[in-house]
Amino acid sequence: MTTVEPHLPVAVVAPEPSDPKDTVTKPIRRKLDWRVRLRHDRTLVLMTLPAIALVVAFNYLPMFGTVTAFQYYDYIAGFWASPMAGLGNFQLLFGDPAFWHALENTLVLSLVQLVLYFPIPIALALLLNSVLDSRIRSTIQAITYLPHFFGWVIVVALFQQMLGGAGVLNHLLRSHGLSPWNIMTDPGAFKYLVASQAVWKEAGWGIIVFLAAIAAIDNTLYEAAAADGAGPWRRLWHITLPGMRGVIVLLLVLRLGNALSVGFEQFFIQRYAVGSSAAEVLDTYSYMYGVVANNYGLGAAAGLFKGVVSLLLILAANKLAHALGEDGLYRSNG
Amino acid sequence: MGTDSTGLSRRSFFGAAAAGVGAVVGAPTLLTACSGGSGTTGNVNSKDLSGVLPNYVPATGGPAPDLPSVAGQATAATDPGFLKYPTDLVKTVSAVPGSGGSYTAITPLWGPIPKANNPYYQAVNKALGASVKVQPADGTNYVKTVPTLVAGGKLPDWIQIPSWWNANVNVGELAISKFADLTDHLAGDKVKKYPNLAAIPTGGWQAGVWQNRMYAIPSFTSQSNFSAVLFYRKDLLAAKGIDPASVTSADTLYALGKELTSASANVWAFDVLWLAIQQIFKVPPVGNPVSAANGKVVSAYDSPELEAALAFAYKLAKSGYVHPDAVAGNEANAKQRFHAGKLLISADGPGAWNGPDAVAGLAVSPKYVRGAFPVFSHDGSTPTIALSASSGILSYLNKKLSPAQIDECLAIANYLAAPYGSAEYTLINYGVEGVDWTRGDTGPVYTTQGTKEANQMTYQFLCSYRNIATNPGHDDVTQAAHTWAADAVKHAYKPAFWNMNVNPPSRFASTSTGTQVNDIIKEVTFGKKTVAEFKAAAANWKSAGGQQLLDWHQKEVVDKFGTGQ
Repeated sequence: MTTVEPHLPVAVVAPEPSDPKDTVTKPIRRKLDWRVRLRHDRTLVLMTLPAIALVVAFNYLPMFGTVTAFQYYDYIAGFWASPMAGLGNFQLLFGDPAFWHALENTLVLSLVQLVLYFPIPIALALLLNSVLDSRIRSTIQAITYLPHFFGWVIVVALFQQMLGGAGVLNHLLRSHGLSPWNIMTDPGAFKYLVASQAVWKEAGWGIIVFLAAIAAIDNTLYEAAAADGAGPWRRLWHITLPGMRGVIVLLLVLRLGNALSVGFEQFFIQRYAVGSSAAEVLDTYSYMYGVVANNYGLGAAAGLFKGVVSLLLILAANKLAHALGEDGLYRSNG
Repeated sequence: MGTDSTGLSRRSFFGAAAAGVGAVVGAPTLLTACSGGSGTTGNVNSKDLSGVLPNYVPATGGPAPDLPSVAGQATAATDPGFLKYPTDLVKTVSAVPGSGGSYTAITPLWGPIPKANNPYYQAVNKALGASVKVQPADGTNYVKTVPTLVAGGKLPDWIQIPSWWNANVNVGELAISKFADLTDHLAGDKVKKYPNLAAIPTGGWQAGVWQNRMYAIPSFTSQSNFSAVLFYRKDLLAAKGIDPASVTSADTLYALGKELTSASANVWAFDVLWLAIQQIFKVPPVGNPVSAANGKVVSAYDSPELEAALAFAYKLAKSGYVHPDAVAGNEANAKQRFHAGKLLISADGPGAWNGPDAVAGLAVSPKYVRGAFPVFSHDGSTPTIALSASSGILSYLNKKLSPAQIDECLAIANYLAAPYGSAEYTLINYGVEGVDWTRGDTGPVYTTQGTKEANQMTYQFLCSYRNIATNPGHDDVTQAAHTWAADAVKHAYKPAFWNMNVNPPSRFASTSTGTQVNDIIKEVTFGKKTVAEFKAAAANWKSAGGQQLLDWHQKEVVDKFGTGQ
């Protein structure tokens, strides 16, 4: 680290006499002693302690459980008494065609969701931003937020009521003498179905962070651009979108890191509707063949595999973000 | 919606759990056989369990059943039925059973969880003279709850584990390492200290024996636990002039499907019928992957009956006669669809046939009547129907309890097992008079509060009187169900390893659940995988440890103790 946060009392740091080179030639922008920094930020540090404790308790301590991936875990005997399996579970996992199939499904579903879902909250945020009447804007916001609070069971049931074989759409088709299309049980349509369910449920919620990014853009830029004769499209292209770029890239990085976590419930609920060939993802695989089948070691191995790959993905995506000159998850030092 | 490979049996039970008190409890399809391994060697109960099991002493006095038990084949017999609830409520337990102890208890519940510390709980605890804090847990996720409790060292003092999950949660091993051995408290004549427990038929106790020691207290013990009944809307079929007796084979059933389906009117003939199709095609229960024929162990997945049944189920799923939401895996609304007449034929556990079902059905269809096809076979030959274990609801006491505490819990269980029509039975099943129920013409009628609290299975899942059939206010239901069962028991048979509690070595812990194959079986019944894919999975199961599991059963179980049939 060579930079110092601007709000730190840089100037008060006295040059150290023992190091005469520094005192004269170099600027004072250098790393403060950690004790000084701690003392200065102690309130902030104290405020983060509960959050750190939470992360330690619920994210780091449970990591010990990954030991089961290397055991023939018997939940009655516990961690200490279960026999070690070495890499046995991984051999079983990698030799299971169902696992590779689940991985493939996960990646395909993730990609489809990325393409179909990701741009929609951005577009919605831009649209909403152009609505001037604040009452209309907050009404639209409230309505689009609402589905976020529904559970997947309800969302799937609603879709079934609308698009299912006995639902509104097919009733309409039948009454007009057309042949029905049961979208809910069509394995081929499944990836688009889940993407549209995700859009319906989460797109409204997803706009929050983009709206915040838009709000942070300096208004004088728009004024200056308008004065120079830039129309709305040019302002969008040259001011709004560049202003949102940091946030968009950050979310994209996170999304890529989570590429292997497309969700559990949504797929589990619809597993038998379209069959596991279409709906099995890594998380449902872990559950079915790990928990239900009383083969916890295998389930944990699948989970660990997912974790390691996700970590690599997120690091790669972050690197890419830095290469594009964005902050990504954290500011690059290079 | 389904959460596990044994979802079928869980669903059949759902009816029973949601059922009113004393309704015929739907039997789980899974045998208690074949649990995950204890240690490395595995074990099975001896053939002769005398000296381990309590001596059976039937309850005396009390009302005589209006519909006496009818005996059938293979020791099967219908549950006695009662039409009129006694007005004179006799006390069967003279002393207060508890001595002020405090116990935690966890039971599964397939229904809305009652409020904690509600007036019904308080009244029961007061009568028990002890504090039994029942904590009902979501039945759908219960198969996950039990391992979590064990791994976290949070096992309660008293816990219920449905026997159809024996393999999934390794009950064979769990019982020996974590639960109290009740043999010395109850074996032989010792049970006479607890007369109501002594009146529980022996089969129920047998379902809770592991390694020749008795661990479990049974609820709803029955000699006619069947996994499926093929139901139909009696009122609607009669209105169409269709005679249910004309359905005598798979083909006639299929033809009826065509006749009844009218998609444009939003009416379909069938629900997913897999539960009943297994019976129709004489399939050995596939919840346990290990079966036996003529003294030789075979894979249940290899049976030609299963293949034929799956082919028929697949054909049905693709026929267009099954309600689209049913093929879409929406099991949660299955009963509503049946009640509303959107589908006319469904398969469910016998427990689905009860008073509350009649109430729910009549609320949406004023002429609602549930009927059931007498058991028939796919080709019109003499039908068969497999018996499930004598009790699917078994509760266990924590090993940490002292002998005195175990005695107190057994005395409490004795109270919970009070016979039909007694004062204790009425309190446990209906709650407090005036608060939870009022007196109707033919028996107690739940108040709204009673429906929410006393009508949910809580204390009943720790221990109960043997299963009986009664539905105050809906005697036609009790009578019709009894008639169906009286016919079914005549065709009953004991499947391989019936009531045996086989506990294979731990290396088979996963293989013995058969999850992979059962999952594909379910997909075939939804028309999402083909029979060929099922056969490939079955072959794969065999080569990935299944054959060794079969060999172990042959050598350690069948050659030594037979098949339990």
